[in-house]
Amino acid sequence: MSWSAQTKMLKGASGIAAILLLWQLSVYVVDVPPHFYPSPAAVWRAFIEMTEKGILPSYIADSMLRYLLGVLIGTAIGCALALLIASSKLAMRMLGPMIDFLYYMVELAWIPLFVIWFGFGLPTILVAVVYVVIWPVLFNSLSGIRSIQPSLILAARSLGGSRWQVLREVVLPGMLPQAVNGFRVAAGFAFRALIFGELIGAQSGIGYLIFESTTHLQTDRTVLGMICMGLLWLFIDRNYLRPFEKATIDRWGMVVSHDS
Amino acid sequence: MTANGIAPSRLARQAASIGLALIVPALVVAAWAAVPFFVKVPAYKLPTVMEIGEQFWVLTSNGKLGWELLVSGSRFIVGLLLGTALALPLGLAIALNRHVSDVVRPALVFFQAIAGIAWVPMAIIWFGFGQGPVIFVIANTVFFSTIYNVVRGVESIPAVLRNAVRSMGGTGIGYFRELILPGALVQIIVGLRTSMAFGLRALVGAEMIAGTSGLGFMTIDASQSYGTDTVIVGMLVIAVVWYVLDRAVFIPLERKTVVRWGLQRFQ
Repeated sequence: MSWSAQTKMLKGASGIAAILLLWQLSVYVVDVPPHFYPSPAAVWRAFIEMTEKGILPSYIADSMLRYLLGVLIGTAIGCALALLIASSKLAMRMLGPMIDFLYYMVELAWIPLFVIWFGFGLPTILVAVVYVVIWPVLFNSLSGIRSIQPSLILAARSLGGSRWQVLREVVLPGMLPQAVNGFRVAAGFAFRALIFGELIGAQSGIGYLIFESTTHLQTDRTVLGMICMGLLWLFIDRNYLRPFEKATIDRWGMVVSHDS
Repeated sequence: MTANGIAPSRLARQAASIGLALIVPALVVAAWAAVPFFVKVPAYKLPTVMEIGEQFWVLTSNGKLGWELLVSGSRFIVGLLLGTALALPLGLAIALNRHVSDVVRPALVFFQAIAGIAWVPMAIIWFGFGQGPVIFVIANTVFFSTIYNVVRGVESIPAVLRNAVRSMGGTGIGYFRELILPGALVQIIVGLRTSMAFGLRALVGAEMIAGTSGLGFMTIDASQSYGTDTVIVGMLVIAVVWYVLDRAVFIPLERKTVVRWGLQRFQ
């Protein structure tokens, strides 16, 4: 690590430390009930207690399993649909507007309907995550395919490429930068959908922890849940999503636009 | 387009694509109507298209839908304005000093990761049920999304430009007005679209959990009494609102600013 990167990290850490310190000090200054404004010390105690009892690790494991399963299934369906649709111009023209419309349906609005269809519990959460993943992946993959220059496909054809070869050598690589971008957006949406699904219909998980603890006024646990949520997301993003994106960029020499 | 050289008129082509686009929704509706003939589905799980249309008419004519739309819309606007108004000056102030930006950035990234519906339970404790937590959560979501974009926008200004303006004697207000503001604006506008998308989700989610009125509340409330037709009407209205917002506000705005300055290719 270079010297400037090190100072940058140190500076960032000092910012977070300052927030924690101000937060703890402000608890002494403001005179409100502890459940109204839990202190970092109380959150730390909640963390120790819930870890020792094994509740927190099992909640994190539950959330991660749901997330992973949902993202995998959703990505598989999204990519498969994109390739299927892209293999026929007619299908593209027929389904395009419908996909555009579904893309605009706010995912959270589906949750009450999913609850009616699948009841409270794992199926609803899983369906919500899968649903949220499918659209950005499909939408972006399709627009990636649309952005391929027709002359490239014609060139591959006229050089004797079969349908399958054109798909593998031209369409797939052309689609990938946008598809990867869509996957990243989807992964972010999916994480929020997971938390929201767990808020509404779960008996375990981080979202459940955040929501359930406030009904018992154990807000130290609520804040603990929120912090876990943030750390989990950053962990997923930094350790898996970014390297994945970088690997695809390096491999195909593509530039992916960054957004959020 | 065509092999024999006779290009179909634009109108005909458009009509053909509209016709093609209508086939799939028609098939979906047909399949929807056909399902009860083949599988036993309780009526509450799958209301007919007619029932949804009727419910839409009922909700529109008794003014309920209009009212909820108004309530949700005003909350969205208040939350959006509040979040943006706080984020813009703060973000610019943070970003103007590289040291401050280095210190604050990791904390911002963290807060952005938890911004949104995860704050709903705490907001209920602070403000009680109703519109307080909803507005708080929208403003919170928009704030962290926008402030992050402002900081990134300022940082994306090439150092060469900064140095050039400085060496030409640009300082103070001039430096700010001629370089920082236009330089960061593109990222801010592009980011605003993301912020609004997140804000809308925050609105719907918060109303479902903490609301006592609004579109999100209407759907979750209806789902508890198995009013599936109302749920579907609510979903469609929310989708149309987002579509109109995106098409009528953002795409023209982007075209006027981002694309005009040639800073980003319009897709």
